[in-house]
Amino acid sequence: MLSKLLKYELKATGRVFLPLFLALLIFAGITRVMSAFSPERWNTPANIIMAIYIIIMVGMFIMTFIMMIQRFNKNLLSDEGYLMLTLPAKPWNHIVSKLLVSMLWMVVSGIVALISILIIALEKGDLTKFIVGLGSFYHQAFEQLGASIYLLSFEIIIGILVSLASVILIVYASIAMGHLFNQHKMLASFGAFIVLSTLSKFLFTLISLTPWISNLSNINISSANDFIGVQAVIQLVIAYGIIFTGLLCAAYFAITNFILSKRMNLE
Amino acid sequence: MSTIFECTDLTKKFGSKVAVSAINLKLERGQIVGLLGPNGSGKSTIIKLANELLTPTSGTILIGGKKPGIETKKIVSYLPEKTYLNDWMRVHQIIELFSDFYADFKPEKAYDMLKSLNINANDRLKTMSKGTKEKVQLILVMSREAELYLLDEPIGGVDPAARDYILQTILRNYNENATVIISTHLISDIENILDYVVFINQGQVVMTSSVDDIRDAKGKSVDVLFREVFKC
Repeated sequence: MLSKLLKYELKATGRVFLPLFLALLIFAGITRVMSAFSPERWNTPANIIMAIYIIIMVGMFIMTFIMMIQRFNKNLLSDEGYLMLTLPAKPWNHIVSKLLVSMLWMVVSGIVALISILIIALEKGDLTKFIVGLGSFYHQAFEQLGASIYLLSFEIIIGILVSLASVILIVYASIAMGHLFNQHKMLASFGAFIVLSTLSKFLFTLISLTPWISNLSNINISSANDFIGVQAVIQLVIAYGIIFTGLLCAAYFAITNFILSKRMNLE
Repeated sequence: MSTIFECTDLTKKFGSKVAVSAINLKLERGQIVGLLGPNGSGKSTIIKLANELLTPTSGTILIGGKKPGIETKKIVSYLPEKTYLNDWMRVHQIIELFSDFYADFKPEKAYDMLKSLNINANDRLKTMSKGTKEKVQLILVMSREAELYLLDEPIGGVDPAARDYILQTILRNYNENATVIISTHLISDIENILDYVVFINQGQVVMTSSVDDIRDAKGKSVDVLFREVFKC
């Protein structure tokens, strides 16, 4: 059931994002070609094309945000919910499918933005230089850190994904909580968001004050001149961040799932 | 005959407002049941409770012996009073969606009905009139070979000609083991197809009876009886 929901979620969102990605890459290409043909930098047509490129870029990132809210609110909690929530699927299937697809578009938007910048800015030979630079950076890092560089990069990637998930899930939980109110649902959702994020920050501070975590910062200071030591501490801090954010994700998910399964009240 | 739909002390409150009040109701398979009552009497609430769109405050509701959940959603075909069609699909795409999610959905039935109502399968849902959307929804719902059809105000928004077609469609598409529950206040239009009626008022069952009993014993039509029971 989850794979079917994912399929329809991708269809529903892809029809917006794919043309946007294509437009961004096309305008990056045109910008590139125009700058190659007209050496004086600030002629009007080139400026217009450049402006359109920037607008599409900004629009793309705003769209990932709007889509995240829209797909959850409109597809599950408004009239479309009558169809979606009576399909033979568990509420958590709906949440997970929407979460994964939102994360996917955010990551892909970032990658497409990067590619478009490369299209515009890349000079001949830059790519080889870049790869050589990356290679030497990798060798340096490997010399310093040894095999734990893989662990560190793995941690960083997981950290980014978990943070992304927490941002999306706090929004889902807020919208779901706002839905519990009979009136001013949007305002209530906004209020729920403020309450949830304040509570999360408060918990974070509280946990940071516990002895074990405070010790961590002591190690940090005492071994600051030791690169390996610092690296171990960084790894620990990231791991701690992942665990804490992961727990927040679980809490937001549980709130959303509870409301969708037990406290639904479609208008 | 076995029971398909059973409520035991079913209660649903919204805050202090009681929408459904300790209802006990048992409906057998193989009949068309009219869930009749004035606006705001709790008809839609009962149907939503059966579809897990609401959770009971107390009491239980069982469909084929099971509480509402994935297993009951597989055998219940639900027509809500709202238009639930999204604005980006075409008709054939939503038919594919139904085929994907419901094992008992028969696409060929749906295409047949679309043809007889002159609806193009390539049309976008967005561009359709409200009445056409309602027809599409009814086609989707009746193209399933479900055990229980829950139709909430199925004829409210369409013209009388389409109304006749819709009622025929319901009659034609339900087999003898299936049960159809139709909620409405437009009784005279559907009276002829009903086997059994449940009168509801202010969240309570006022009366249940077979239509034959009403006609034979009381010598009245359901419509006349309804007007008597709910006289303002």
